[in-house]
Amino acid sequence: MTLDFSILGTVWPALLRGTLVTVELTAAVLAVATPGGILVALLRGAPSRTLRTILATLSWICRGVPPLLLLFFVFFGLPVIGIKLPPLPSAVIAMSLYMSFYFGEVFRAGLNSVPAGQWKAAEALGLSPARTLIRIILPQTIPAALPPYISHATEILKGTALAAAVSVPELTSAAKQVFVVTFRPFEILIAAAAIYAILDSLLLVLQIYGERWAARRSAAR
Amino acid sequence: MNFALLAEYGPALGQGLLNTIFLSVVTLAIATPIGAAIALIRETRIPWIAIPAAIYVNIFRLLPALLVLFFSFYALPQFGLRLSPMTAAVLGLSIVGAAYMSEDIRGGLAAVDQGQYRAAKALGLSYPHIIRRIIIPQAIPLIIPPYVTRAIIMVKATSLASLVAVGDLTGEAVRATSITYEPFMFLIMAGALYLLLSGALALFQMWAEERVARARRPRTSLTVKAAQV
Repeated sequence: MTLDFSILGTVWPALLRGTLVTVELTAAVLAVATPGGILVALLRGAPSRTLRTILATLSWICRGVPPLLLLFFVFFGLPVIGIKLPPLPSAVIAMSLYMSFYFGEVFRAGLNSVPAGQWKAAEALGLSPARTLIRIILPQTIPAALPPYISHATEILKGTALAAAVSVPELTSAAKQVFVVTFRPFEILIAAAAIYAILDSLLLVLQIYGERWAARRSAAR
Repeated sequence: MNFALLAEYGPALGQGLLNTIFLSVVTLAIATPIGAAIALIRETRIPWIAIPAAIYVNIFRLLPALLVLFFSFYALPQFGLRLSPMTAAVLGLSIVGAAYMSEDIRGGLAAVDQGQYRAAKALGLSYPHIIRRIIIPQAIPLIIPPYVTRAIIMVKATSLASLVAVGDLTGEAVRATSITYEPFMFLIMAGALYLLLSGALALFQMWAEERVARARRPRTSLTVKAAQV
């Protein structure tokens, strides 16, 4: 069978819509899982031992089961406890749930890279703990946390393909929808792959600039 | 917990578990040698083989694994190659797994002190000999932890096979869930079984690290004895 990429001329609007949903989904998961990860990192250092054990167990479960299974769990489970959500928000919740724990590890390492004396010094200057965290501690975690943060962000981007399983019309499921009609899976999947590669590369470029920026900042200090 | 439903769907779930174990074992058995070969090829730094290997690795690391599975399941028939769901899943998961695994192995190889290459070369050892007798033995302890982490990720990724019509653990759990409207039971059981599988791999890691440590011990004691003499 010969390849015929002219099919892309007719299906591109569907792929474009899928791409937008993929970007939207990635952004939404990042927007939920980033503060979620900071929260997890802070709570992991909490004085309550029970809380730390519960979090460690949850983290072990959410990172130990396949993301797809977690997605089905949220998708089938939420309506039973009375929360009826469209597929997209359920996917955001499921992905944010486990990504928060991955980010928790990233930010925990970042927080540990800041000397404990910084907390004490800020306290001595009369800053409140919340202000210390936002103005003193978190900015200093950026150089250590940025590279693993971006690499997890690319994991999120690639992971959004799973949302196809719960009928979110993101790029992979948009591609499937058009190739089952046009019988041109190869050409359409190549196009989808190229779009993923471009989106991933954008994140990697962001990482390079971010690392340079972080290096400049620490050099200035 | 509804035991009547459990008795009814238990066998299907058991079959799903067997399929997941089969997928995991076959995928790892294919991806490990390919990943190791790619890592070694890239370490040679011979452009005409190292560059294609690097392109392969970086292309597949950019794509969602599900998309690659769709390629092997939906797109290959376009070229007259019609694979069974299981074969398509093994193919897709192995191709992606090998790309990631080669990076983990390469990290271990690169972490061996570069002076070891030069020292072995100065002693007149050939390149294959240096790799086999000097570099690999020192790299293995460094490779085991990231290798097992990757293996666990690959076991979890076998759940994607359920989206190309393989009746694996996730597929069977979801099927039982959608037939019975029992949302939590089967999915929780499947989750527990996945945790058991990754637990088994973590035990393997402990065993392998212990074994590597034991294999190294006699040599150290000999050196110590030699030093004492």
